[in-house]
Amino acid sequence: MHNSSANPPAPTAAASDVVAAVLAFIAQDGCTDADFDGLALRLFAYQYANNQPFKRFCQRRGATPRSVKRWSDIPAVPIDAFKELPLRCEPPAASDRVFMTSGTTRSEVKGRHFHPTLAVYDRSMIGNFAQRFMRGHGPMRMGILFPTETVLANSSLAHYLALAMEAFGTAESRYFMSPQGLDLPGLCEALSDAQQRGEPFALLGASYSFVHLIDELKRRGQSFRLPAGSRVLDTGGYKGQSRDLPLDTFYAELSALLGIERSHCINMYGMTELSTQFYDAGNASVPSVKSGPHWIRSRLVDPLTGREVAPAERGILVHCDLANFNSVTTILTEDVGLAADGGFLLLGRAEGAQAKGCSLAVEEFIRAAA
Amino acid sequence: MTTLHATAGYLPGLAPADVQWRSLRFESGPTRLEVAVPVLSPDQMRALAVRVGHATRRHLKTMTVSGIVDVVDRAMARLLDPADPYRRELDQLLPIVTGYDAEMVRLGLTAFFKTFRAPQLHRFVAEDFANPKLLDEFQPRPKGGAAKAFGPELLVHVWAGNVPAIGLWSLVCGLLVKAGNIGKLPSAEPLFAGLFARLLAEVHPPLADCLAVVWWKGGDEEQASALYAEADTVLAYGGNDALDQIRRRLPVTTRFLAYGHKLGFGLVSASALDALKAPATARLAAWDVMRYDQQGCYSPHVFYVERGGRVSPREFAHYLASELANLQHRFPRRALSLEDSATVAGWRQGIELQAMAVGDGGGDALIGEDGAAFGVAYTDEVKELAPTASHRSIQVVAVDALDQVVARIEAHRPFLQTAGVAAAPAELFRLAELLGAAGVTRISAIGAMSSPEAGWHHDGRFNLLDLVRMVEIEQSAEIAADPLAPYAD
Repeated sequence: MHNSSANPPAPTAAASDVVAAVLAFIAQDGCTDADFDGLALRLFAYQYANNQPFKRFCQRRGATPRSVKRWSDIPAVPIDAFKELPLRCEPPAASDRVFMTSGTTRSEVKGRHFHPTLAVYDRSMIGNFAQRFMRGHGPMRMGILFPTETVLANSSLAHYLALAMEAFGTAESRYFMSPQGLDLPGLCEALSDAQQRGEPFALLGASYSFVHLIDELKRRGQSFRLPAGSRVLDTGGYKGQSRDLPLDTFYAELSALLGIERSHCINMYGMTELSTQFYDAGNASVPSVKSGPHWIRSRLVDPLTGREVAPAERGILVHCDLANFNSVTTILTEDVGLAADGGFLLLGRAEGAQAKGCSLAVEEFIRAAA
Repeated sequence: MTTLHATAGYLPGLAPADVQWRSLRFESGPTRLEVAVPVLSPDQMRALAVRVGHATRRHLKTMTVSGIVDVVDRAMARLLDPADPYRRELDQLLPIVTGYDAEMVRLGLTAFFKTFRAPQLHRFVAEDFANPKLLDEFQPRPKGGAAKAFGPELLVHVWAGNVPAIGLWSLVCGLLVKAGNIGKLPSAEPLFAGLFARLLAEVHPPLADCLAVVWWKGGDEEQASALYAEADTVLAYGGNDALDQIRRRLPVTTRFLAYGHKLGFGLVSASALDALKAPATARLAAWDVMRYDQQGCYSPHVFYVERGGRVSPREFAHYLASELANLQHRFPRRALSLEDSATVAGWRQGIELQAMAVGDGGGDALIGEDGAAFGVAYTDEVKELAPTASHRSIQVVAVDALDQVVARIEAHRPFLQTAGVAAAPAELFRLAELLGAAGVTRISAIGAMSSPEAGWHHDGRFNLLDLVRMVEIEQSAEIAADPLAPYAD
């Protein structure tokens, strides 16, 4: 059988141009509003022309390259569309990397994000990570509390963490999560070692893995005083994989057990449907303000009308990520946000309001049917 | 912004100063309403239960059912009088608390209160007791002996929130069987029950201590458990999770009556789809969708519409959409919270995306513009019964024959209750047989789905009989008594 991955199809000329433009934009030192609009509109025209489902979606909303004048005019595609529609401009190829959403119920269709090349994703991640997590620090010993990219080939987070370790980790860095679970003895040994040698250590992983770590360390009555400069990166919330811990308790305990200041406990907010991440400047107080680099912008909307909410009101987050060159730049999330100085506060998911009457709520019904 | 204040609950024997209060805040347009809700200690809760129990034995248990009907009827006459201060308070405050359109609330309350007038209440009792005197005194039984129905000493109600005044059903049931009643207010509508209790005490002062209305914050185990421990029967409305939590906290000897969330649907036969009847049926269907924005257990979420009539199911969906657009002018949908907006948006997007995924340009999949305060989804494919996002979101499904629907609903038996049917008489009874077997317990006309008739059997249960305990004097006791009489030979 012909193996196309040995000989990937060359990207179309239009795609190469778009990729080059996005990479150049990311490499810029910031941008003006006009710069941002310029590339956003170029990407919109490209995606409108090369992705039929997206074009139909825009047409239903009366948006065309002619009517869209600013990034905020681009119709925001609900993230569920990544489950229902093939949102991609380049034709499928065996060499594509496909990141899939984890899905919270067993029968759920997974959202798929197609990346014909990871050049843009990787560049977006690295530049931003260097600034927001490494904060200019050189290579650091890292521990990863998440499965490897080999185990989870379709996980954008697995790729993100692999990239972090490869680009910013020292040779001693390693994974402490196996299919059997958390390697606590190995991790404790590495942490003790780092503590003795006085070398800063970075621990990165899914938020729920840190909850398991907190529980285990407390059970063993063990704690660490990691050297100055050590840091933590957690992401993704608990997703029902661990007990639910209030944010403040989470960071208080993490900080106490590892001896890392809360200002060095950084939360990353990312999504399979994006190619760029948001970070806070530590979690000395919660909820912390999240912000992204110059190639992503966000607004807060009423999800029914799509209109922006008043400044002091909560809204659903819409992100316009210029690194999403192949899918759609602008997505409507299910996350509730509130505008804050320099970014936004992330207030959790817009859970369907609890049914207060006697009419059945969709969620209860789905659970009963599952 | 004007701020109004109200006090919730009804606590006989407790001075307001002895109780802690919390404030629940409601906002509607330019008006803010602060409702003070009582937070009792577990000891206060127990004392209240004792007081209600005593008073009930003394006053309520000694009344006849007809006497109780008369008291409730007099209270209803007050609530049906638009000039009465109690009614005025409800008309003013309930729209603020619930967010529903004031006119919708006013009409809804009047229709609802009418089902609790004396003739309706007598019918209500007669539905469950062929001989209502069973509730008053020992009555001869055909098999021999005699029997009397005793209500609970203490009946605890846990009410649900979004349909205003809905707690009246169970509270009146409790009164009719002469139970001591303590109800827990829902935070979403904490006003009606306390107000009704005050009115009842005013209409018939001996009842003043026979009922109480309390509140606790969801999850406050201690207060809840203190009260549950005193109850012999607990009646609760809510989602299955909430009901399960209550059940786990009850002693095994406590009777638990649970009314879970339900999912209504309608069937429209081809016989109701000619040029005259179809628009009329669609108008009635729109009313069922509009009333309390589909928050009732009986509210419809799906209409299955039969092909073969002069008006096609697709056209019916369009009629329904234009009726909902009309109703939006008369009874605007309430303002949605961000969470509700997200739910409705998610439902709409799901339909849109699925239509796009199968290559349909979207066409009629979703009728009603973006931003319209209702949504009618239409599909040509037979679809499983499923809840919509409510808030006037309705699914119309075209079917070749209404019998097809049965296979689409029977898997959801635990959630079935009301089916609205528009069909010719023979069809109605044939369908009723099938629907009943599938788990439906109430079949109404379309247009009456969201206003059950007096004396209906909620979820197919006996509202009053489920509450009582039959005490029988067997014939043997009667026969054995005879020789012990002073006049025995």
